[in-house]
Amino acid sequence: MTLPADAIDRDAVELEEVWRDPPGIWGWFTTTNHKVIAKRYIITAFLMFIAGGIEAGLMRAQLMRPGNTLVGPDRYNQLFTTHGTTMMFLFAVPIMTAMGLYFVPLMVGARTVAFPRLNAFGYWTYVVAVVFLYVSLFVNTGPDAGWFAYPPLSGPEYSPGHRVDVWAQVVTFTEIAALVAAVNVIVTTFKMRAPGMSLNRIPLFVWAQLVVAFMIIFAMPAVAVGSTLMLAADRALNMHWFNPAEGGDALLWQHVFWFFGHPEVYIIFLPALGFITPIIETFTERPLFGYSAVVLANITTAFFAFGLWVHHMFATPIPEVGQSLFTAASMLITIPTAVQIFCWIATLWGSRPRLAVPLLFVLGFFFTFVNGGITGVMLASVAFDKQAHDTFFVVAHLHYVLLGGGVMPLFGALHFWFPKVTGRLLNERLGKWQFWLFITGVNLTFFPMHILGLNGMPRRVYTYLPETGWGPLNLLATVGAVIIVLSVVVFLVNVAKSWKGGEIAGDNPWNSSGLEWAVPSPPPSYSFLHTPFVTGRHPLWETTDGLPVVTGLSVHERQVLVTTTFDAVPDYRHSMPSSSIWPMYLALCMGLVFIGSIFSPYFVLGGLGISLLGLVGWAWTASNKREEERVALPDGAVEA
Amino acid sequence: MNAMRPVSDVTELPTVTFGSRSLMWWGTLGFMTIEGWTLAILVVSYFYLRQNFDAWPPLRTPNPSLLVPTINLVLMLVSVIPAWLTQQAAKKLDLGGVKRWLIVSTVVAIPIVVLRWWELWAINTRWDTNAYGSAAWTVVGFHTSLLVLDVADTIGLLLFYLIRPMPLKSFSDTADNSFYWYFTVGIWIPVYLIIYVGPRIA
Repeated sequence: MTLPADAIDRDAVELEEVWRDPPGIWGWFTTTNHKVIAKRYIITAFLMFIAGGIEAGLMRAQLMRPGNTLVGPDRYNQLFTTHGTTMMFLFAVPIMTAMGLYFVPLMVGARTVAFPRLNAFGYWTYVVAVVFLYVSLFVNTGPDAGWFAYPPLSGPEYSPGHRVDVWAQVVTFTEIAALVAAVNVIVTTFKMRAPGMSLNRIPLFVWAQLVVAFMIIFAMPAVAVGSTLMLAADRALNMHWFNPAEGGDALLWQHVFWFFGHPEVYIIFLPALGFITPIIETFTERPLFGYSAVVLANITTAFFAFGLWVHHMFATPIPEVGQSLFTAASMLITIPTAVQIFCWIATLWGSRPRLAVPLLFVLGFFFTFVNGGITGVMLASVAFDKQAHDTFFVVAHLHYVLLGGGVMPLFGALHFWFPKVTGRLLNERLGKWQFWLFITGVNLTFFPMHILGLNGMPRRVYTYLPETGWGPLNLLATVGAVIIVLSVVVFLVNVAKSWKGGEIAGDNPWNSSGLEWAVPSPPPSYSFLHTPFVTGRHPLWETTDGLPVVTGLSVHERQVLVTTTFDAVPDYRHSMPSSSIWPMYLALCMGLVFIGSIFSPYFVLGGLGISLLGLVGWAWTASNKREEERVALPDGAVEA
Repeated sequence: MNAMRPVSDVTELPTVTFGSRSLMWWGTLGFMTIEGWTLAILVVSYFYLRQNFDAWPPLRTPNPSLLVPTINLVLMLVSVIPAWLTQQAAKKLDLGGVKRWLIVSTVVAIPIVVLRWWELWAINTRWDTNAYGSAAWTVVGFHTSLLVLDVADTIGLLLFYLIRPMPLKSFSDTADNSFYWYFTVGIWIPVYLIIYVGPRIA
């Protein structure tokens, strides 16, 4: 028997009343709706992609011909540092986690994330980083020691002024934002899955996000320690972590940085792999071949990713045994990645895939990413690495991996889930233009850099002499960059046109199988009218007579269903806190603490002092009396 | 919206649970993992710098004092008792017991924080003297931030209980506050051994 229509309408009205944000500008700042926050996160991160792209464009314009004078050396240093910092810390990681913050709850059948206020706090912290970096850049205080800020160059002696301080604090903010997002994704996935969604039924998108959340928890603290407790402390408090004169060690920085930095690549890459599976399943209309193999490959990749960091340090005095070990590990990690790729190929094999734009980007991923992966295996060899170290070969490799492995699937995902977020489809023809321009532009820009690197062109130089003969290939790369810009412009036009005027999508325009397609597009504030009940890995493909649902959650407060970790058996009804200004307030206080710490310790004390008000306000509004309480005591008794 | 077919009802389920059943417990565990791991990275870095010195602490650098750190360690171990009693009272929804043991916890916690100030100076080397001093101060300093945070949480909870009606859910949060306190005390034991005792036996 299905639910009667009038009961559905009544519940929907009451739920909307309870879950919606306060009206007006106040609601804008106080929202704890995970979809609103994630959407903002995605848009902000995409703006950062454009900002980083403009920096890249300026660099390509400068390198277009030998002896060019468009950008001087000092500005160039700020440009490449800000470009790398923006793309890694303010674009790639945030946009990948933001996709998770939007879709993980929808895919597991939950009404929100486990900690909605913490989620808002994370977003505002990230905004502080964005504003701080770009205001600094415009007042000629943009960081200039490279996106990995090696001391002694980044230390107090060689980088006086505040440029590196800006970098260190921007990194700190983004780490905090990523860590709180990770805790949210883990607890949402462990405890808020729809009944019946046991571990072996979790969508692969969610598995990828879960694995990445664990990676964030073990990777990000390393760089937070490095940037805040070591580098910033060396610079502001005269500590000696990296000062060899007092027993410090500059190589320690490289260890803590790359212990984060290498997993970082996979923190960007694994969510992208998570996008690919539902896209392939949907457009081939068949379940993925090798679900368990792909899950295990995700987990194995995460483990190996922590065993590779020294391959960024082959040019330092590392013992030979260490070098061999890290070479072996760097080659080993190709195996789980290959397993995933073979599973996707097997799924595509013999199917009649519909070549819609999302799938085109996935195919583009295969081509581009595999190229980047192969140069990665080359760089894993110490002898070759020492030759190619710090040359454009490395620049070519990392851009193939990140654009091929991260950005291409991301564009596919944006096309795929745009209708869910906005209710309208993106234009298919413009999408195809974007795809072909993008794949052409990426290969034209970055393939020549392999050759430039092998010819000896070092990275991070603002110009070169005509005698080097590097001019023609650099010009070719710049032409490629122009084509990438065109591709992104086509995408932006497409989004602008389709957001309000695109074809109406309906709940499930692609006939996809995941729970996110069971709710209206765009989803209402409460997402699910009733919590779905899951009986397989492809809920919407497996139900013919109406979606099975669980009833009984309150419509008078923001209630969610919490289930058991392994088998997702309903366990208790959890009430979520109201919308609140305090997450934003606290994020701004943290901004004052960390940015102020650059200038004076009094800012730290003052910032912490006013944070206290925020903590009290947060806790006070979260501990209001509930309308109904039934307590399950640890001894098994239940008290009302 | 697709047609919906109700298959079960959760109206009878509880709204508050304790321990690993509750979301807040998992969130707490998440932050304990992050903070514990951060401390571990700092400790590894401390030992990494050790390689650069012939002696540890470096020549002409005194050993850390043991008196204040040892007194504070004992105090911290003792403080686990009221934390445990708070947790037990919370698990029985015993409001009077929770208030009583939170007061005792606070009374024990305040001297711990005060002594921590002297404990930092008991390293006997300033943070800007050499890399050894930087590392030792950062390790103890980072733990201090966790300590202050949890003591502030304990005091905040107590004040809330004293001045306003609290939902039953807060008993679960109170139990988790004790859970976090065990962590704060637990990770201090190796830090105490490494920073204060280690240099004497190395």
